[in-house]
Amino acid sequence: MVLKCEDVWREISNYFEGDLDPALKQALEEHFTQCPRCQSVRDGVSNVIKLYGDKAMLPLPAGFDARLHDRLAERIEGQRGSSLGWLGVAATAALAALTLFASAHDRSLPQPRAQMSQPARRLPQRLVAVVDGGKTFHVPGCPFMHGKYHMVTAEEAVREGYAPCSRCMYEALRSAGYVTPDFEGEEVASSETAAK
Amino acid sequence: MRVSRSDPGQEHEATLIGRVNRGERELFYELIRPYEKRVFVIAFMILRNEADAEDAAQDAFLKALKYLAQFRAESRFSTWLIQVAINEARLRQRKSHFEIMRPIEDQENEDGTYTPRDIADWREIPSEALERKEIREKLIAALGSLAQKYREVFVLRDVEHMSIGDTAEALGISAGAVKTRLLRARLMLRDLLAPGLDGAWAGHSQIPKGTKPWS
Repeated sequence: MVLKCEDVWREISNYFEGDLDPALKQALEEHFTQCPRCQSVRDGVSNVIKLYGDKAMLPLPAGFDARLHDRLAERIEGQRGSSLGWLGVAATAALAALTLFASAHDRSLPQPRAQMSQPARRLPQRLVAVVDGGKTFHVPGCPFMHGKYHMVTAEEAVREGYAPCSRCMYEALRSAGYVTPDFEGEEVASSETAAK
Repeated sequence: MRVSRSDPGQEHEATLIGRVNRGERELFYELIRPYEKRVFVIAFMILRNEADAEDAAQDAFLKALKYLAQFRAESRFSTWLIQVAINEARLRQRKSHFEIMRPIEDQENEDGTYTPRDIADWREIPSEALERKEIREKLIAALGSLAQKYREVFVLRDVEHMSIGDTAEALGISAGAVKTRLLRARLMLRDLLAPGLDGAWAGHSQIPKGTKPWS
């Protein structure tokens, strides 16, 4: 098998992946012995893989771990409540007082319709799949989803202007009791933003 | 997708996930510890800014904790976590830059053939050169100059050593697309790192013939 340089360049990455059949691999190696340019491509790519794959290449910033743990601790330990002792009791009491005040305050004011209807239309906190370049979001694995996708929360998908897939997502939301008759209306009709 | 029940690492992870979900939330630290760097690195290579990447990584871990109950064992936990991190970084990127800031190279056709530069005197950059901060910075700048679709694939496969399949799953693209982008990224970086050439690696400084800028 005689290869041209272009063939070698096309396969050079697979060569390093070990993803070539033996005959093609041998043909590449024969080509390298006679072609300084392709040797230089091979050595350069080898160098790139070696350098960027080195653990020393991208170290974590100093203190990263401690800062991450501090932020996680707020969420993890903050929800245990009793571990905070008296401080926790005081904070809980203060929160309760604040909530009572807020609800009393709320009752004294007329509420806009949208705000009153919000609890029934609030989306569930779940991750959904958004197809790149598409306009809908899906339950991951939906058979009507094609192409590249990324995961976002349902809230983010709606906020970014994506509409729920009329098959998988509508069904999932309805069976979970989240869908009210106007679900497909205004909430999904918001303008499509920088989502492509 | 490829969960092998005979893999003790993944079995341990599945046990940890179950215990976190049942209320032993402090075990979440143990669950994520092996992936802290990976999450930071992918966020860093998307956002190209250390402070933003750290914020995005923290948010990604918080989100993973919040939604852990929804994680399904059809995919690896690490792949799911990376998906969450990629998404967090992309969201942050969209909020701060919008579409006009996206590099023009993103529009180029990745199926087109790429012709590597003809460099007569290729020299190897030894790994020891990575001890020098300015060398690492130049390598990071070279990678940062690639279009995002190449950076994402390259960082998962070649920096973080994820498999082609896991890289494809994390990015929601086909294995074929991973291979095509990986090839292009490796060739472009090879050209950028070639001594004596203009570009992110060599900058505009003249390198005297016969000397190595990294030695």
